[in-house]
Amino acid sequence: MVKVTEAPEMYTGEGYGLTRLEKIVGLARANSIWPLPFATSCCGIEFMATMGATYDLGRFGAERLSFSPRQADLLMVMGTISKKMGPVLKQVYIQMAEPKWVIAVGACASSGGIFDTYSVLQGIDKVIPVDVYVPGCPPPPEAILDGIIKIQELIKTESFRRRESDEYQKLLTSYGIE
Amino acid sequence: METEVVNSQLIDYAAIFVQFVVAAGFVLTTIYFAQKIGPKHKSVKKFESFECGLDSIGNARLPFSVKYFLVAILFVLFDVEVIFFYPWAVNFRELGESGFVKMLAFIAPLLLGYFYIIKKGALKWE
Amino acid sequence: MSDKVENGLIESLLKEQFGDAIRSVEESYGMLDIVVKREKIIEIITWLRDSSLMNFNFLTSLCGMHFPDNKGEELGVVYHMHSFANNKRIRLHILFSISDPHVPTVTGLYRTANWMEREAFDFFGIKFTGHPDLRRILNMEDMQYHPLLKQYPLEDGTRTDKEDKYFGR
Repeated sequence: MVKVTEAPEMYTGEGYGLTRLEKIVGLARANSIWPLPFATSCCGIEFMATMGATYDLGRFGAERLSFSPRQADLLMVMGTISKKMGPVLKQVYIQMAEPKWVIAVGACASSGGIFDTYSVLQGIDKVIPVDVYVPGCPPPPEAILDGIIKIQELIKTESFRRRESDEYQKLLTSYGIE
Repeated sequence: METEVVNSQLIDYAAIFVQFVVAAGFVLTTIYFAQKIGPKHKSVKKFESFECGLDSIGNARLPFSVKYFLVAILFVLFDVEVIFFYPWAVNFRELGESGFVKMLAFIAPLLLGYFYIIKKGALKWE
Repeated sequence: MSDKVENGLIESLLKEQFGDAIRSVEESYGMLDIVVKREKIIEIITWLRDSSLMNFNFLTSLCGMHFPDNKGEELGVVYHMHSFANNKRIRLHILFSISDPHVPTVTGLYRTANWMEREAFDFFGIKFTGHPDLRRILNMEDMQYHPLLKQYPLEDGTRTDKEDKYFGR
C-alpha cells in the first residue's frame, strides 16, 4: 500500500472525513507545485541534478516544469542575477498567476554571493518578495529539496485571505509591484 | 456455431453515463470554486503579453506568407487519404482484386489533384 | 609561403611604409607588439589587412586599457589581428589622454569591431568616431559611469550591510 501523503486532521467516520477546506486546498496545492526554473548559472545545474533520478523532485509533485509564468506556482531563482536582469525577473514575477511563491536558491540569488560587484544584484529580494532562501554555493540537491519542503509547509498552512490582507499589499507596494 | 443475441437495453449503460457525469462534474466544480475562492490580483503589467520579461514590441497579428498555410492544408488532405489506406492494408488479402480496383478508383481523383498541385507549384517554397 | 612572413619582415615593412607613426616595437612570446600613433591607426590596419603578403584578415580582439599613472596617455586601445594564410598574430596598441578619448572606428574594416568597440565604450568611456551605434552593451543603459576605469570601486555601491573594517578600508 503506497502512502502518497499525510492526510490532514479530519473527523473521520465510515466512508467520510470532515475537515476545513483550507486544509484540503493546501494539501492539493502543496503536492502539485509547478515550478518555473529561472536558472541562470551553477545553481541551475544543481537543480538539473535535483530533477534527475537520484534526488527526484518529481516525487514531490513538481514533475511538470513550466517556463511560462502564467502556468507556474513557484518561481525558483537559481543563479546570479545581474542588475540588467533585475527588471526582467520582476516582470516575470508580476506575470505569474496567483497564488505564487518564490524560492531563492543559492548564495547569489539570496544575497549576491561572492559577486560583490557593480553589475550583480545583491540578492533578488531587492526586486521581488522571497519566501524561502536556500543557502549554498551551490547548494547540494538535498538542500534544494529541503527548501522545496519548506515551501510545501508554507503552502499547506497558508490561509485563503492572505493575498488580500493589508500586510501583503504593503509588502507588494514596498517593492513597487501594483 | 450458434450466436446468441443478447438484448442490451440503454439502462445497462447507465454506469458509463454516471461515470461521465461525475468526471465532468468534478472538473467543472473545481474550476468554478478555484475561480471563486482563489486569490485574484489584477494589474496592468500583469496582463501584458508574456515576452520573457521584456517589453513586447509591435503587434503579433501581422500578415504572413501563404506558403505555410498551403503546406499545412495539403498535408492534412493527404494525411486523411493515408488514414483511409489503413483498413485496406489490414484487410488486403480478403479484399483481393476487386478491393484493389475500388481503392484505385478512390486514389485516382486524389492523384489528379496531386499532379495539379505539382504543376501549379503550390509546394514551391521560395 | 607561410613561413616567409617573419616578425622581422613585418617590422621592417611597417617601418618602411609608415616611418615615425610606429612608436615602438617589441616581441613577447613570439608575437609582435607594436605601439603606433592614434592618427595613423586606420591606415596601418587597412594596410595590414589589404597587403597580399601579410593578409591580416581577421580582427581577433579589440579592448580598452586604463593606466592612471601614465599622465597624458592614460587610456589605450589594443587590437589583436590574425592572418589565417600565414598563421601569424600581431598586436597593435594606441595610447591617448583621458581628456580626449576619441578613436576612429574600425567598423568599416572589420564588422566584428562593432560590438567590441561598444564594450570598450561601455567600460572605459572611449568614444569611437564614426561608429554606427555607440551605446552600452553589457551594463544597464542608465548606468552613469564607466565601471572599469580605475577610479571607481569594483564593489557594489549600494551595499548596506557590509562593514568596511572587515575589508581593510
